[in-house]
Amino acid sequence: MPLAQTPPIRGKGRPTTRDSAATSLGAILNLIRSGRATTRQELERESELGRAVVADRLATLADIGLIVESELGVASGGRAPRLVQFKTELGCILVATLDQSALGVGIADLSGRLFTEHHEAIDLGADAVSTLQRIIALFEWLIAKHAPAMPVWGIAISVPGPVTEGDEMPFMVQTPSFLPAWEGFPFLETLVDRFGAPVWLRSSIETMTMGERFAGAGQTTRNMLFVKVGKRIGAGLIFEGRLYRGGQGAAGLIGQMPVQMGDRASTLDSLAGSDMIAREGLAAAQSGKSPLLADTLRRGGDVGAIEVSQAAQSGDPASMEILGQSGRLIGHSIAMLANMLNPGLIVLSGTMAQTNDLLLAAVRETVYGESHPLVTRDLIIAKSQMGSSAGLVGAAMVVVESLFDPGCLKDWIALGTPLAHPMFLSLQMACAARSDGITALQDQGVNAPGFPSTSRSLP
Amino acid sequence: MTISGLGPHGERAAPPERIALFPDDIASARAARFRVAIVLHTTASDWAKQQVAGIMATFGDCETAVIEVVDCAFTPEAQIAALDRLRGEKPDAIISIPVANSTVADAHRRVSQEGIRLLLLDNVPTGLLPGSDYVALVSADNFGLGTIAASFLAARLAKGAAVGILSYHAEFFATNEREIAFDKWMRMDRPDIRLHVRKFDSIQTAGQDALALISAEPGLAGLFVVWDTPAMEVVKALKRAGHHLPVTTIDLGREAAIDLASDGMICGIGAQQPYLQGIAVAQTCVLALLGKQTPDWVALPGLAVSSENVVESFQKVWRKQAPREVLVSAKLVQGNSRS
Repeated sequence: MPLAQTPPIRGKGRPTTRDSAATSLGAILNLIRSGRATTRQELERESELGRAVVADRLATLADIGLIVESELGVASGGRAPRLVQFKTELGCILVATLDQSALGVGIADLSGRLFTEHHEAIDLGADAVSTLQRIIALFEWLIAKHAPAMPVWGIAISVPGPVTEGDEMPFMVQTPSFLPAWEGFPFLETLVDRFGAPVWLRSSIETMTMGERFAGAGQTTRNMLFVKVGKRIGAGLIFEGRLYRGGQGAAGLIGQMPVQMGDRASTLDSLAGSDMIAREGLAAAQSGKSPLLADTLRRGGDVGAIEVSQAAQSGDPASMEILGQSGRLIGHSIAMLANMLNPGLIVLSGTMAQTNDLLLAAVRETVYGESHPLVTRDLIIAKSQMGSSAGLVGAAMVVVESLFDPGCLKDWIALGTPLAHPMFLSLQMACAARSDGITALQDQGVNAPGFPSTSRSLP
Repeated sequence: MTISGLGPHGERAAPPERIALFPDDIASARAARFRVAIVLHTTASDWAKQQVAGIMATFGDCETAVIEVVDCAFTPEAQIAALDRLRGEKPDAIISIPVANSTVADAHRRVSQEGIRLLLLDNVPTGLLPGSDYVALVSADNFGLGTIAASFLAARLAKGAAVGILSYHAEFFATNEREIAFDKWMRMDRPDIRLHVRKFDSIQTAGQDALALISAEPGLAGLFVVWDTPAMEVVKALKRAGHHLPVTTIDLGREAAIDLASDGMICGIGAQQPYLQGIAVAQTCVLALLGKQTPDWVALPGLAVSSENVVESFQKVWRKQAPREVLVSAKLVQGNSRS
């Protein structure tokens, strides 16, 4: 019987730091990357590792090419320390947000900072192939314009509904279920095959929550509730610093919660969402109850939820009442969640929440009135400052968090790139086979799931 | 004509009719006697002069004083200094064309933080949001302009032809939108066409870049350049090198109009309407100062200009007579006499 294969060892019989110390290398890299430690002293303190170990790990990380130690920091008495920095330009991240009528795309560095974004109209009801082709074309444009020499380290796409899978570690291995019309369509597999990078799909509320957590108001809190008010009202939860997705990836569908307004009982979506606000606003404009909205109509403008929201901010009494009513219902539902979860921060998002303070005031009043004093003692309720860019920023952070999760990082850090992760290499081969299989079926005229028979083959 | 693009943050465009001033608005503005400053990338170009003319005409009607028009000479440092200095003057509003992206973002943000209404033309610095950081963006439908240019060029291309795109290296919302739209139109409507992109850094080097692209892709059958001034540098370089290729571009500059009218290399132009954009930004500014509702993004449709309609388009865009060379080419005057 042949002997089991043993890993290669150094001359003196000891494994290298790369081979044996992946966990501490990863811990130190994450301290540097997150900005929690930027000098050797800070790294020793934060990592609780000795000076020699930190020096060894830094030398290894520099050797692999993940960090650079060159700039001088601020001296605190003696010699100025060298700053240790993660090389965010080692790769780029591609992101996209898909909703029913618009596609947004962006490109970011490995810190999640967006270089640029672009939005254009699409019809998500059209066939999946043309939407995928458009995403690919825009990604290729972004790469050519901003990062022609950078490898793509990851891709994240935000989609309109809940993504029912996605917690597989370390990489998503197949297209999850997220739109009925796209069932069976190899969306993820094609992107992996095309760009040679892992792909993650998340719901739009999840990516916006991630954007707020890492680049918005949630940067200093570990427990945050993010509520987006639109046609649908959804919530995202950051629990102990991480996004909580629930058993099926469907956490946060609070628009389905039952609420009551007078003698009307329905869901939060239908009694407090933007459709209700637009409907009530139009009625107020047409009846003359709101002079400001009537003026907007007179100028040939539409009266929708955004106009009602702006009018409320300008002091229009009818619009203020509509927003107040919506805010109290949303506040009532949030209060229940706050009593259960005790978040440190609640962020309201969506155009209506961001263009006026009335909704925020009504939510605050209701949450403070209906919650336990301990729950509200240090609670901050604020509106998002990130606008619609939160989804793209958050999508980039989905990639960053996944790639640098200690469980994933330990298996690629010694290789210098997640694209060399053994599981990703296997996934890439499987995706290539799946993409080829679908293309072959199409070539034979067989209508594969999700592929309309009239569509052109993929570019 | 409808607006085909979305705003810098995915906003839907509002048409200029949405920000029309009614007699009672003008009366209120006259009573308020507002003070406004204008900060432009340059005041030397025809485009900038027409923008200012539109702004001045509207503010004149509203008896709104323009206290300063700053020429930043395309430099971010000059723009930052101008905005910081103007904050001290405490105007009611500032109209600005951001000349760069992140470099000038904070200087613009400081304006709105002082309570001065900020209106942007053509570009939005990274991270600035409508409502909180600025009142509104007023621009052309740059996406629509890109599709106009693509459709003009496509009409000159044989099946399977190759096309070059001269793309601007700097990060700028307007030129990005034009390039993306051109590319998208070709992919959707002429999937047989092969596209080759090369970036140029400055107007002066655009001609050399075009020649380099042709040398790398000898079969090129046409070019798209993202605005007219570099496009004319490209046309001159092509002539010098003995090439003749159809070229499409954006903006009806004087030289481009003459070339188009004389059946030169320029075969079609998507034109902005700078005078109307000036009016639109001034109207939006007045409405915002009166506390009225204003949309996040006001977009004006582009004009499709061919050799057939170049005379009337020139008058529409520039509010003045077309150059004599254009009138001669259009056979509206005789070539050997001057009016």
